[in-house]
Amino acid sequence: MAFIKLNDLEIEVEDGTNVVEAARQHDIEVPHYCYHPGLSRPANCRMCLVEPYGPIPGAPPGTIGPARQLATGCTLTVRSGPPERKLEEKFDAIIRTDSDRVIKAREDILEFLLVHHPLDCPVCDQAGECDLQDFSYRHGHDKSRYLEVKNVPPKKDLGPDILLYSTRCIVCTRCIRFCDEVSGSGELGLINRGSHDEIDIPRSHEGTPIQLLDNKLAGNVVDICPVGALISKDFLFKSRPWFLEKTDSICTGCSVGCNVTVEYKADGLYRIKPRFHEDINQHWMCDDGRLGYHYVNSDDRLQLPQKRVDGELVTTQWAEALTLISDALSQVEADEIVVIGSAQGTNEDNYVLQQFAHDVLKTTQLGLIGQLPGEEHKFPQFTIEADKNPNTAGARTILGSANGNVVLEGDTLWEKVASAKVVYLVNGGPERPLQDAERDALEKVGFLIVQDVLPSEVTQLADVVLPGTTFAEKDGTFTNSSGWVQRIRKTIDPPGEAQADWEITQQLAKRLGGEIDYHFAGEIAIAIAENVEGYGDATHQNIGDAGIKLT
Amino acid sequence: MSEEIIQIETPFQFNEENKQEFDELIGRYPVKEAAMLPTLHLAQRQEGYITPAVMKYVAELLELSVMKVKDVVTFYPMFFEEPVGKYVIRICHTLPCALRDCKVVLDHLKSKLGTDVASETNLAKGTTDDGKYTLMKVECLASCDVAPVIMVNDDLYKNLTPEKIDELLEQLPS
Amino acid sequence: MVEERRILYEHLDVPDINTFDVYRQHEGYTRFEKAIAEYQPEEIADMVKDAGLKGRGGAGFSTGEKWSFVPRDIEPRYLCCNADESEPGTFSNRYVLEKNPHLLIEGILICCFAMGIETTYVYIRGEFTLGKKMLDAAIKEAYEQGYLGENVRGTGQNINIYTHPGAGAYICGEETGLIESLEGKRGQPRNKPPFPAVQGVFMKPTVVQNVETLCNLPFIVGNGVEWYTQMGPTYGDARFDPPKADPNTGTKLYCISGDVNEPGVYELDLGLTCTELIEVAGGLRGEEVKAVIPGGSSAPILTHYELDTRLDFTSLTLAKSMLGSGGIIVMNETRNIVDCLLNIMKFYAHESCGQCTPCRWGTPWVRDIVQRIADGEGRQTTITRPKFGITESGRWGDTGETEEIYEDLDLLESVANNIANVDTMTWNTICVFGIAVSWPAVSYMRKFRPEFEAAIREGKLVTLPVAEATVPPEENYAYQQRIIPKEMTDLE
Repeated sequence: MAFIKLNDLEIEVEDGTNVVEAARQHDIEVPHYCYHPGLSRPANCRMCLVEPYGPIPGAPPGTIGPARQLATGCTLTVRSGPPERKLEEKFDAIIRTDSDRVIKAREDILEFLLVHHPLDCPVCDQAGECDLQDFSYRHGHDKSRYLEVKNVPPKKDLGPDILLYSTRCIVCTRCIRFCDEVSGSGELGLINRGSHDEIDIPRSHEGTPIQLLDNKLAGNVVDICPVGALISKDFLFKSRPWFLEKTDSICTGCSVGCNVTVEYKADGLYRIKPRFHEDINQHWMCDDGRLGYHYVNSDDRLQLPQKRVDGELVTTQWAEALTLISDALSQVEADEIVVIGSAQGTNEDNYVLQQFAHDVLKTTQLGLIGQLPGEEHKFPQFTIEADKNPNTAGARTILGSANGNVVLEGDTLWEKVASAKVVYLVNGGPERPLQDAERDALEKVGFLIVQDVLPSEVTQLADVVLPGTTFAEKDGTFTNSSGWVQRIRKTIDPPGEAQADWEITQQLAKRLGGEIDYHFAGEIAIAIAENVEGYGDATHQNIGDAGIKLT
Repeated sequence: MSEEIIQIETPFQFNEENKQEFDELIGRYPVKEAAMLPTLHLAQRQEGYITPAVMKYVAELLELSVMKVKDVVTFYPMFFEEPVGKYVIRICHTLPCALRDCKVVLDHLKSKLGTDVASETNLAKGTTDDGKYTLMKVECLASCDVAPVIMVNDDLYKNLTPEKIDELLEQLPS
Repeated sequence: MVEERRILYEHLDVPDINTFDVYRQHEGYTRFEKAIAEYQPEEIADMVKDAGLKGRGGAGFSTGEKWSFVPRDIEPRYLCCNADESEPGTFSNRYVLEKNPHLLIEGILICCFAMGIETTYVYIRGEFTLGKKMLDAAIKEAYEQGYLGENVRGTGQNINIYTHPGAGAYICGEETGLIESLEGKRGQPRNKPPFPAVQGVFMKPTVVQNVETLCNLPFIVGNGVEWYTQMGPTYGDARFDPPKADPNTGTKLYCISGDVNEPGVYELDLGLTCTELIEVAGGLRGEEVKAVIPGGSSAPILTHYELDTRLDFTSLTLAKSMLGSGGIIVMNETRNIVDCLLNIMKFYAHESCGQCTPCRWGTPWVRDIVQRIADGEGRQTTITRPKFGITESGRWGDTGETEEIYEDLDLLESVANNIANVDTMTWNTICVFGIAVSWPAVSYMRKFRPEFEAAIREGKLVTLPVAEATVPPEENYAYQQRIIPKEMTDLE
């Protein structure tokens, strides 16, 4: 640990911490643009200049004063040194972020940054979450002395989801470094020189693209752009950021379990942004996850239960649907029932489901389905996993947690399904196409109960369809592929009369005389902690924002 | 939706001689990327200017993304992205040459060739209609003692006057 | 009259000196032979330090000291020879490359031997096609003669030299810009520290030296430290007790251009005055010296009052200017300083690499302000302030004193100082390009303010007579410290 004096604070920071981060830990703002903790540090924006102190050349030993040159806080790191190198006999570094020189330097840099900026905040998507706005307000001049004509570089289409408003760009090169260092795809670079520098993809001299910015991590460049230059087409002109509610959650796109922030209004989700987690996704997420939320907002969402009448699905009331199901279940033997949980569902959903199967239906035949596997994508600093479900590990453990439970997956599951009389299938994710063997098996089922969020090939085969909820509409936990248990939180209300999956299962259980009675997801998590091996600490309270790793 | 990607009809490739030179070059550096500038010089010598096909080829040779090549090509004024004349005339217009009346020489060249001065993003502006000459201004050519100077392709011409320009242009083979 | 002392340029005009055989006949490679026969590598490094050799590329940093920062336990180490001569007004390296390339090779060999370096890259600016051709031919000969390649002259050390062409970017003359460019990227300078001596090309310890600096090495080794230190003044810096030696030893290849009768490269001992140099260069072309740029276009300008300034590293630093690369540009009474500044600012605006904020957007801004003044559109305001005094009617009252405010001159100074402050010598930029912009901008404006004011007032460029165009010495911000103070006199 290094002991430093930062302004008037005497603080300890870890060796190797840079001044921007050390200051941030103590709520001191060192404004910066090009510096991003997940990327290399070219120190090109010059915004984070701070004033280090040191021995004065030629003065008596022990005299210290401000260094002649200001230093960039992003590249200036502190570490503990030997006693003879200490300043004022105890500090490893003395740094001021509030001296007159620093304040003037910030003003000057901001003036330069705004020289060519169009100041089009009223029509800019970034307004409200823009570092240029915020730092100008807090550290800048109130007027510009620039009278000349501004550069007006063109607006550019960089790829499937990314637009570049070049006029707003401050050439901090975060996006370029992201594509070089994290995604490793290197589609972005600078063109021209000096004040004519522009970010671009490679193009012919006439402007035709040679390569587009379409790697699966491309959306991150929008997040890290400190100004409104890089814009997501998906979010363009949809909403002012200050109208959006924000809730911490977990991405459901694959088994990595990226930490995300879901941004939403009452009418649905607007965007998903990555949230820092040191051991899982760092600062990033992939575009599949980022843009994969649209099914939540779909107009086709299942809102009411449905029953099959004369071969057609028609909407019905909850009471009738539940009656139909309980009748069907009570007419068959336990070993003729298969209960299928989902890797899209939470641990809580699956726990209640297995409890229903084991305690109420007395069946030990459980199944697990999820999205069909996709491709694995490896990047220098990021991996997208082939398993496209957020909770395969958790669902598998939890479904199989009670005595004698067998969790069937793949071919063995579908063989079992083909011979079952009643199948209760809970999905709860985006639409999943059926493979031939699966369809054949499901067609043979006597009575098929499907609990899902969207009409799909599976619901088409169902005798009763129950409207469940997506990740955005319920609380719960997911266990990712590396054993991290993390929280998702309810953001919006489910559409129509749709209900959280565990609640539906619990109602069914009650109909059949079962004694499952939870009031909220956290209560189920406590039951999981008590009953499932390895989940002893995984209560919602313990998990918090950071998640916990199973031991 | 985004724009269409360019289709490269005829891929570029080094000829035998340049391939050999490239193979020799690449061995000089511990990192392939370092051969960028000499490789681009070679390619430009062969092709006349840096086309998208050249950028793709160089990127493949050096195991880089195409943008890394484009990035470098646009930074350095000696690389052209447009066709240039058979004779590229670079005229220095920095202070020491300006003190020695390079403007007179420049004006003379402009009227003599009947063309404007090329800008870095628009070389066609400074290229004569017959495609023989491209006239461009450059910064100091490090020959201030013999100012004003011009470079015609690789050769430096010193102490220029309008008369000397006339002589010079006549001497250049068509 | 000061005599030329040709050392580096001694054999420059010998026919065929560019060939190995002729170079060999003129003591060629004997200094390298002496180095490997008589000295240990560390001893050579000490000699260079003792000789007080200062880098000739621009910064004037002590070469020996720079070498001492290189960690000798990290392999490989590299030498980058900076032959990207592109500072306007500088052209001495070109002649070495074109006429006497073996001298450079010998210098490189000595440096490689002293520093245990196996690989050297000579970064030659792209426009030096002839220079590169000549150097490549000389390198080929040196390989054939066993002076390059494996186990050079039985030292057990391999030494390779590769030439690397630039492509027309001024900023690649900055050492870390050069390194980036050599690595095949944009020539954008790196943030320091770490310095190249620790993490340079390919992130390995790297010595970056200018052509002229390297060419000095054979003579330091060949003739000894004592011989070398006799040339040029060594000052004592009295801030230290005892005064620390501040050497300005050796000769300098002064490049003189502009309004002199015989522009060219003159090799002279460091420390002669501007007046003397102009005299050496055939005298002034014109009636009167109006201004002299002493160290390439980046250097702050000197007025005719300052022509007695000695052209060495220390004296010019005290005069708030710099020797830089030794490119001296002389301007006579017909020159308009606003116009000259505009030319220089266009150069810098064109050459800014665009990496860091102040330089990327500040430099073209400075150019635009100067352009506006040169176009006669500079802004000016007349302010009338109440002032108590005796009015025309002979009574006490408001004399209505007016003051001219030249807003654009204030703006010019302020914007330039915000890129890099010339008074405090601090810069907000990554590299010293920032100060290379604000130095000329501020110094021209302050020292020739009447001419700038005239351009604004008259609405067009006005070339004033020299005496009127120049601010008097007592108002010159740099004049007072210019003369070497007593405590900084020649040590001998």
